Amino acid sequence: MKQTNFLILFFLTFLFIPELFAQQKYTLSGTIRDAATGETLIGATVKLQNADHTFGKAANDYGFYSLSGEGGEYTMTVSYAGYLTYRKQISLVGDLKINVGLDPANSLQEVVISAKDRRNDNVKSAQMGLEKLNMRDLDNVPVLFGEKDVLKTIQLMPGVKSGGEGNTGFFVRGGAADQNLILLDEATVYNSSHLLGFFSTFNSDAIKDVSLYKGGMPAQFGGRLSSVLDVKMQDGNSKEFGVEGGIGLIASRIKVEGPIIKDKASFMVSARRTYIDLLLKASSDSSINSNTLNFYDINAKVNYRFDDKNTLFLSGYFGQDNIGIKDLFANDWGNTTATVRLNHVFNSKLFSNTSFIFNKYHYAIELLDKDNNARVTSLIRDFNLKEDLQYFTNQHVFRFGAQATHHRIAPSDITTTGNSSINPLSVENRYGLEMAGYVSDEWKLNNKLELLYGVRISSFSLLGPGTIRTYDAGGDIVDSYDAKRGSFVKTYVYAEPRFSASYSLNEENSVKASYNRNTQNIHILTNANTSSPTDQYVMSSNNIKPEISDQVAMGYFKNAKDNTYEFSAEIYYKWLQNQIDYKNGAELIANAEVESELLYGKGRAYGLELYLKKTKGKLTGWVSYTLAKTERQFDGLNGGNYFPAKQDRTHDLSLVGIYNFSSRWTFSANYVYSTGNAVTYPAGKYSTGGLTTYYYTERNANRMPYTSRLDISATLKARETKKYQSSWSFGLYNALNRKNPYAITFRDSKQDPTRTEAVQTSLFGIIPSVTYNFKF
Amino acid sequence: MKRLIYLSILFVGFLVWSSCEKVIDVKLDTAPNQMVIEGNITDQNEAQLIKISQSVPYTDQNVFPAVKGAKVTVTDDVGHLWTFEEREPGSYTSVPFKGISGRTYSLKVDVSNTQYTGISIMPKRVHLDSLSLKVFTFGGKDVKQLQVHYNDPAAEVNQYRWVMKINNVQTKRVFVGNDRFTNGNNVAELLYYSKDDDNKELLSGDEVQVEMQCIDKAIYNYWFTLSEQTKNGPGGGVTPGNPPSNINHNALGYFSAHTTEKVSYKVK
Repeated sequence: MKQTNFLILFFLTFLFIPELFAQQKYTLSGTIRDAATGETLIGATVKLQNADHTFGKAANDYGFYSLSGEGGEYTMTVSYAGYLTYRKQISLVGDLKINVGLDPANSLQEVVISAKDRRNDNVKSAQMGLEKLNMRDLDNVPVLFGEKDVLKTIQLMPGVKSGGEGNTGFFVRGGAADQNLILLDEATVYNSSHLLGFFSTFNSDAIKDVSLYKGGMPAQFGGRLSSVLDVKMQDGNSKEFGVEGGIGLIASRIKVEGPIIKDKASFMVSARRTYIDLLLKASSDSSINSNTLNFYDINAKVNYRFDDKNTLFLSGYFGQDNIGIKDLFANDWGNTTATVRLNHVFNSKLFSNTSFIFNKYHYAIELLDKDNNARVTSLIRDFNLKEDLQYFTNQHVFRFGAQATHHRIAPSDITTTGNSSINPLSVENRYGLEMAGYVSDEWKLNNKLELLYGVRISSFSLLGPGTIRTYDAGGDIVDSYDAKRGSFVKTYVYAEPRFSASYSLNEENSVKASYNRNTQNIHILTNANTSSPTDQYVMSSNNIKPEISDQVAMGYFKNAKDNTYEFSAEIYYKWLQNQIDYKNGAELIANAEVESELLYGKGRAYGLELYLKKTKGKLTGWVSYTLAKTERQFDGLNGGNYFPAKQDRTHDLSLVGIYNFSSRWTFSANYVYSTGNAVTYPAGKYSTGGLTTYYYTERNANRMPYTSRLDISATLKARETKKYQSSWSFGLYNALNRKNPYAITFRDSKQDPTRTEAVQTSLFGIIPSVTYNFKF
Repeated sequence: MKRLIYLSILFVGFLVWSSCEKVIDVKLDTAPNQMVIEGNITDQNEAQLIKISQSVPYTDQNVFPAVKGAKVTVTDDVGHLWTFEEREPGSYTSVPFKGISGRTYSLKVDVSNTQYTGISIMPKRVHLDSLSLKVFTFGGKDVKQLQVHYNDPAAEVNQYRWVMKINNVQTKRVFVGNDRFTNGNNVAELLYYSKDDDNKELLSGDEVQVEMQCIDKAIYNYWFTLSEQTKNGPGGGVTPGNPPSNINHNALGYFSAHTTEKVSYKVK
């Protein structure tokens, strides 16, 4: 009922859009690009100003903007962080189209300009819970092995917790790792890690923009409970040909980009590969040099501008990890994505994007031992069709669209050769269809109040064919039948309201509030804290209900000293329903009846996030602090009481400082402190089967020791020539060489076997790195 | 198979990063001592043994107090009853008898005003064929591992537990398996044994004895859960919990009716 009211209200708003009846309104539209490379600038601000009026809008994901206002003389300004502001006198006496090229500021100018131009965006916009990663900061934040990485840098933001030391897995506002929707050019990246999590699948050379939505999720996004990490690839330089790359300790990268037809078509190809195994190959020992351990990935994108109204983008990603031990074992896994997009500008106010997306994640494990040989493969793949429309008016940006995604999960296929102990096995495929329609409105009511509200109607259907079993709470089959191909086995439909509002107290202070509901139908069953290559994916079904979260958040946003300082404080509370865990001793791999092993429960998460950023001056950087709690409750676990989730950490503090010492030297440091993870320690011990065994009482009631780490780096720019730029980055990870806890094990003491001791394993001590980057 | 996945993760860890270990002090809650019952009925004509003890705080020595004065009986589903006598403190034994495959055995323990009960079905016996040595070359070094060979019967679901003793000392790893992937086959199961567990590698000249037990589903779950509990923390595996006991009233331990067969092997 409530939802119906909401919808009626929503459509009424549409009917009575005031400006439909207003007179003499004209529209200014166009595309904002980097003048040097032709890359579109996402979120660049366009403003029109005269004595009577000031209004502005941000460019959309494709650099397109549209502004409507009363006819007259205006000063048009276009600004974007890191670029020189563009100013022009215009007379809006009819619909106008102006495409703008912004000149990048050099590093010193940037310091002066960046802040001024994004003036109070963070304060004014209704969007909250959004973290935008500045790709330039990424170059300077010190990281493990010197491999700059968007996922590791995003972990330094408030409300985002690292999945473990050096790990790219992350948790947002108490959500699980599988509750993050990770998009690369709109394609879902199911497993975003390389080398068991120490590197992410995102090669930062190829990336233009990274946004993380922790809350206040806009209606165009859905399908995961906790966050959306929206990563966009570069389009490729449409002005001139260029090569850049880097040589590091672990991996090297190269990127080639350039125009195919100047200002009309361009391409970008970026590739990366590790070479640990090349070092192994250098060994003369055949048992070492025939092992494999590597990953590589390739990002590629081509775009073609037919005319000002139509642009086609093709983009793709392919990545693969390989691990192998001679004659024993081989494991490979990777993601493949492909996105075809067509931008069409219907008119100066209506912008459309149509996307067709393919993505796949697969893994294969091969046991090479003759007696026990087997090859186990598993995959999840999606076909996804999306239509997204944006309609720009004076006070509103309406956004509406529809999506349909077809999923296929092939849980496990086992094949063997010769005389293996292991039998061939194929767990039947599961098919699913996700559909969604959404409408939203970004509404500037007046100078003070801005709203972003909408609704997403989402549905999920489990499709046949397949053997459909229903289990009772004990995991026993109560019903079983064979569903026909294409039949709808089970369908869930949800309305997901999304709402956020900002109220500006004055130019530099605002308060914001948001509420959003999200649902999720693809779930990962995992033992580990973060993603592992052999994660098992399951869909919602007759047994598994969609996960649901409701989040409310409030925040206070402040800018000071002409945007030199940006401050925000947000609090949130999240209710989670239909959370999934599994019984003790559950067998997850290659189990057709895996749904019989599951437990369902609920969760809650709440916290406070503080963020202070200094955006200009010689010293820039930020401090982020999170105070949080996240708990789960399952009938079959911990006596039915709430217990801390594995990722529950009370305090998380990150400090990042970047000091531009001179035009050649940049120094940077980051420091992180976090409370230890929630773990279950034994409450006693006893003997069973001749072994000392531990007795456990409350789940996750104990804490690992805290983590504290300082990383530093220095970047030296070599003297530039017209043709060639290069720089050296030197880094020290864990500069204080603190032994941070990675795991705690209990065992009989080696000195005195009658005693038990707790042993802490640490991964990384101090690790130096050096990287050489070049561009020509 | 799982063991090999585990192995690979170890390998990566070992190869790329030399992690370091240190003994730390942890603050632990101490629960009151719990009742621990370990009951075994084998298919050998021998005095069967039920042990009753208590858990102790983590900081104590590994000396587990015997529970004395319990009344222990075992019955089967064809009307036999055996009364167990306390021969040593906490150790209750019967007159020699032989468990029969397919029969259901019920344990009854009366102690400190509680009656603990549990049942277990003795599975069919699967013959342990032989043991063999498997040598892996790991980073230029030979690592010796033992394999157990048996012929899994196709007609039924089988669960196994192996107890390995090296020079008469039981290894600390729990070996457990079922025929989910190997039904009806000639199986060569690797009893993966690492230096981490026992501070000792398998060396030439070592006398190894492997006992193979055929166990029922509940007992398999018990040992399987126990085998999964390794490390704690982001780098660790499963959140540990108490293995599901087939004895009621929250007793720790198990009651297992199983077949048993032992084979010895001298490492070459």
